[in-house]
Amino acid sequence: MALSCHGALKEIKGSTDFTFALAGNPNVGKSSIFNRLTGMGVVTANYPGKTVELNLATTDFKDLRIGIIDLPGSYALGAVSEDQWVARRAVLDCKPDVAIMILDATNLARNLYMLIQFIDLGIPIVAALNLTDEAEKRNIIINSGELSRLLGIPVVQTIATTGSGLDDLIQKAVDTARIKKDIKYSLRYGEDIETNIKRLEGKLLAYNFGINPRALSIMLLEDDSEFIELVGKHENGKFILEEANKISREIEELHGEKTPLRIARERHGLAGSIASQVQGDVQPITSDKIWAYTTSPLTGIPILIVILAIIFSFLFYGGNLLSTFFSNQWAAYVSPVIDGAIYYVFGDGIIGKILVWGFDAGILAALAVGIPYVLTFYFMLAFLEDSGYLNSVAFLTDRLMHKFGLHGRAIIPLVAGAGCNVPAIIGTRVLATMRERTIASTLITLIPCSARTAVILGAVSLFVGWKPAVAIYLIILALVFIVGIGLNKVMPGKSAGLVMEMFPFRAPIISNILKKTWYRFKDFVFVAFPIVLFGSLVLGGLYETGYLWKLASPLSPIVEGWLGLPAVAGLTLIFAVLRKELALQLLVTLAMVMYGGEAKNLLLFMTPAQLFVYALVNAIYIPCVATIAVLGRELGWKRAFGIMAFTITLAILIGGIAFRVIGYLQL
Amino acid sequence: MQVDTPRIEEYLESIYKLQQEQHPVSTSRLAEHLKLSPPSVSEMVKKLSNKGLINHTGKGVCLTEEGNRIAKKVIRRHRLSERLLTDILGFKWDEVHEEACRLEHAISPEMEERIEQSLGNPKTCPHGHPIPDKDGLLLKEKVRQLSELKAKEKAIIVNVFEEDPKMLQYLASLGLIPDVSILVEEVAPFGGPLIVCVSGSRYALGREVASKIKVK
Repeated sequence: MALSCHGALKEIKGSTDFTFALAGNPNVGKSSIFNRLTGMGVVTANYPGKTVELNLATTDFKDLRIGIIDLPGSYALGAVSEDQWVARRAVLDCKPDVAIMILDATNLARNLYMLIQFIDLGIPIVAALNLTDEAEKRNIIINSGELSRLLGIPVVQTIATTGSGLDDLIQKAVDTARIKKDIKYSLRYGEDIETNIKRLEGKLLAYNFGINPRALSIMLLEDDSEFIELVGKHENGKFILEEANKISREIEELHGEKTPLRIARERHGLAGSIASQVQGDVQPITSDKIWAYTTSPLTGIPILIVILAIIFSFLFYGGNLLSTFFSNQWAAYVSPVIDGAIYYVFGDGIIGKILVWGFDAGILAALAVGIPYVLTFYFMLAFLEDSGYLNSVAFLTDRLMHKFGLHGRAIIPLVAGAGCNVPAIIGTRVLATMRERTIASTLITLIPCSARTAVILGAVSLFVGWKPAVAIYLIILALVFIVGIGLNKVMPGKSAGLVMEMFPFRAPIISNILKKTWYRFKDFVFVAFPIVLFGSLVLGGLYETGYLWKLASPLSPIVEGWLGLPAVAGLTLIFAVLRKELALQLLVTLAMVMYGGEAKNLLLFMTPAQLFVYALVNAIYIPCVATIAVLGRELGWKRAFGIMAFTITLAILIGGIAFRVIGYLQL
Repeated sequence: MQVDTPRIEEYLESIYKLQQEQHPVSTSRLAEHLKLSPPSVSEMVKKLSNKGLINHTGKGVCLTEEGNRIAKKVIRRHRLSERLLTDILGFKWDEVHEEACRLEHAISPEMEERIEQSLGNPKTCPHGHPIPDKDGLLLKEKVRQLSELKAKEKAIIVNVFEEDPKMLQYLASLGLIPDVSILVEEVAPFGGPLIVCVSGSRYALGREVASKIKVK
């Protein structure tokens, strides 16, 4: 479960001797270092309304207890994107004893940009010069002693993949944390910008905004919306902001460019000059020509299709195989034990039967989805993320996804949705904003997962023919397009343009992938289990008490009148909320109860048109209870219910139209 | 009715500069830049529009060809004055802007040419901005959108036209700022994104973002 950041940060600060914040650009080996430093007891925390998470953990170093906060990887400490905002907010809220900045030795200049921002904030820093092994391969040798001298902070060479240098790093951080007095940095921008920063700083000295005046002065000049708002609330805020504006305009006039841009340029200049002073003059060797194949359209698109096909078939065939195997094993060994225990304690009356629904069928439903589909998908997703291939995918499909207001990264969860919606929705975490995640999740719920495909194949393809089955897929595909484009138009906000770093390929570290997979799976289990259990008990209660049959008459105007289906078919659609393939199994079972054993042939009591409408409605309306649980967890219950209501309406609408069109055309 | 008054020149010069970041230029931004009240600016904008020096639309103002010509002439005189102040009179480069603002309106074409000659035909002002030549031509290079470039083409960023300040700052933090050289590595088909190389890092940029980055 994700905790609130304030509480979690406070707790970790209170229970440890020192807290260190791990900061760095994306893909510099920060999470490898975090994993190496900490054990399994990682807690994730959220700021309300933000999707980017903080990881917190504690570790023992010599006789000290140390709290480690893993900040989201970001390129800067501004307020311009969620990852940056969360990283900065956490640093300002928690005031870590030391910030450990992980630097990528292969790209030092860009990495120093954020480090200089930390120095601007006046926070004690220790730098880890990571990936030094990879840098050496590319002929980049960095003089870390000189770097330390120029920056005025300790610099430790590390290799995260082997753990080399990490003890030294923590030791340096502890040493730095023990120096209790304020740290004075000597790093400075150009004289003219510095004078102006000092001028504004002078006006700020009289107030306490909870941040050091130099840092605030720089941020006001950088036009930082969050701090402008903070200062604006102060009684003298208007005066300060006017002063900042005046100074900013003077800088603008002098340099002929906007002040935030000028400061960024100075910072890049500083970072670049430091980087060039500590690196030899040797020309670096550029590698990664192989990865160019994944982004070049000619070779990239076939590679993409193959990878997507592998993911899909793995989830579809591999997942189905595992799921069937799992269900069979459950039925053979676990189910009798659970049922026996329940009947022994509660008797085989209504209560016992309801409990069997929940604790036998319910747990099976969650596990049969969770283990074969969710676990496998998480593993594949972590692999794609860590290897850097996900970015190549995003590059190739960005254009198409843009029509839906999404980024190229959304293609992976969307395709995964055809295997199972649950991991696909959690997979939307690769998208940056709540808007994108909502659109992607809604589209995913429309994509027929393997269970719904089983119904389409079992009911339509088997009894009616393959052409109508294909027609169902085409209708749904069209719906996905229409809904995607529609949502992009209707939802407030717009998709920001794509700006994404293309990482060089790195062989993923298997232990990192396994850890990532496990954390995510654990989250799924904790969230989905109670809801699936509860849903199963409710359904069981309805069934065993016979109330279910009473639902048939209020539903009949919709089921019989509008959709043209027999009432019994409508009831099975309700049950399918538990697991979508249950719809078909129950349809056969209930039909046999009502019409006798002959009803195994569905055509005896339903026309081909009815079967078509039935499979179509089953495919579109709210996904299963596990999906609902995950929607609620990932997007909040308001959005989850919104998506449910939307898909039910859509299913009824499309089903009714299909029924009438078929009748009119006499197909 | 005299056209070349210092006030008109000041306006045209400001609009010219602001056009580099916003097109058309909103009157509120213009007022802020000139440190004047919005009503007096909109009054002047009307006058300039009547003279045919600017086009005034609902969104803001932009220079006409004639307005552009005058603006460049003023900028030429301003930047030559700055050079004069630093190179001959020994002012510091961060002191000359205000002085040049007064000088630029008082220099005759004859004097302008003499200053240029005695300075040895400088190409830029002390702050590094190019000085337009006699005919108002700034730089001969053709400015294009980054999105027009083909794979393996190299260019230098001239400007980033991005209205959203957050996006602008984000791009700046990644090093996508004017005067930086940029290499297009790959272009996705059907109007897809580009992969660009900037100071050792590779980024994928969407077409919309790339079209706002002007390069030469």
